[in-house]
Amino acid sequence: MTVSIWGVGTSMFGRQPARLPAQLAWDAIQEALEDAAVDGVDAAYVGTVFGAPGVAQRALSGVGITGIPIITVENACASGTTAFHEAHAAIAAGRYERVLALGIEQMSTLFDGPITPETTDSEQASGLLLPALYALSASRYMADYGMTLSDLAQVAVKNSRHGSLNPRAQRRRAVTEEEILSSRPIAEPLTLFQCAGLSDAAAAAVLGHERRDDRDVAIRASALKSGLAWDQASKHVWGFDVVADTSAIAYAQAGLGPDDIDVVELHDAFTIGELVTAEALGLAAPGQGASLVRSGEASLGGRRPINPSGGLLSRGHPLGATGLAQIAEITWQLRGEAGPRQVQGARTGLVETMGGGASGIDGNGCVVTILGG
Amino acid sequence: MNSLPPASKKLDALADPRPVIIQAGQHHLLDGRSCQACGHAIALQLPLCPRCRGPVEPAQFGPRGVIWALTVVHVPARPDDKVPYTLAYVDLDQGPRLLASVAPTDATVEVGSSVALTALSALGDPTVEVAP
Ligand SMILES: [Zn+2]
Repeated sequence: MTVSIWGVGTSMFGRQPARLPAQLAWDAIQEALEDAAVDGVDAAYVGTVFGAPGVAQRALSGVGITGIPIITVENACASGTTAFHEAHAAIAAGRYERVLALGIEQMSTLFDGPITPETTDSEQASGLLLPALYALSASRYMADYGMTLSDLAQVAVKNSRHGSLNPRAQRRRAVTEEEILSSRPIAEPLTLFQCAGLSDAAAAAVLGHERRDDRDVAIRASALKSGLAWDQASKHVWGFDVVADTSAIAYAQAGLGPDDIDVVELHDAFTIGELVTAEALGLAAPGQGASLVRSGEASLGGRRPINPSGGLLSRGHPLGATGLAQIAEITWQLRGEAGPRQVQGARTGLVETMGGGASGIDGNGCVVTILGG
Repeated sequence: MNSLPPASKKLDALADPRPVIIQAGQHHLLDGRSCQACGHAIALQLPLCPRCRGPVEPAQFGPRGVIWALTVVHVPARPDDKVPYTLAYVDLDQGPRLLASVAPTDATVEVGSSVALTALSALGDPTVEVAP
């Protein structure tokens, strides 16, 4: 039986230290419930990384959602889509009729800049944070494929242009290649404007069985995997294989391939991430991701836009909220409700979220979801 | 710089999760593990092979290796980090891939450069220097 998205909602994205995590969540939950035209749910799956114990119950009880099973999950940057994946599985298994998937993250009250190292992780304890991990991939791509600084910057040029059309994004200004490359270096070759901003937000979706409502969006596939060992025996840069493997499961479930996808929201926490991920999803051959951006194919108005929302680079990256914000964007796109950033005629969309942080493996978790069609 | 250490962590009491570097005569070596089933070289002292779950035995690797990827970091990860600093994935000869700090040098360091393990950095990180 098909499971559908009945409604979605998000808060604003950005640094909002004066708002409680619960307040951010209320915006997302209430919009999603109204959008779904329901007044309650039978269970809630909540994704958060740094959320305090009880953050989910505090948020849900504040809007009168009590007395139901509440399950909180952590899967790094893929926490929100992991909650979505589990909500989908629970409905498909017949456990519940209507389930809320919620992502919450307030980061500005915890960090000033990059996330601080997890001192029990072998590589983080050696001073490797995620920007540097992605920078290492970029370094390898430049050596292997002749990828240039301009190729990287063009990802941020495109996504900032898209983000300028997204009223909920943290960064809403189109920036030039020159501005991007001359912004503060973070981990070479990545500069500040090539890194998603520290952000606070919540995002939500209500899922249920297919019903007779043409605003509902069918979930064609949802796949979740953690990474295999990543080391000297790995053929690709960090994160490539887990995205490729997870998307292969999702494509098979949906009976679709990369050519059937009209619009994509993928994990561009850093510019290089969009290029590597686009290739891993089969949208371009290895080493050819930059050509999707250069040719305009991945831009709004192009053959298959990538990150019409502006992506994480524009929206900001409140870890647990990110995946459900991606789900919300594709839902709006497939309904034709995306306003000035609407992808014309979009029928089938793909969401990919990638979480990292545990060294020695190819990612803590990757979720690939195919919607619509 | 920006750390608010979680209140529950006693930072001075933490076990060190980093790979173990030992001195052997003139050389520094990585004291890791080798899989007895598939031969995989493992940087950390893990109880089983992460590739095949086979049994492992102690194995030393290095000192020489080749830079697989590198980055110059401009934002300190830890309060005592002095920026900029260079981090690299180093594929040790017949050994595992190791995240290492690259000792400051005037020589060109790039993907493919030959390097060798040297003494730990001031912060206790595995460190390589450009091979002579
Ligand atoms: Zn083995």
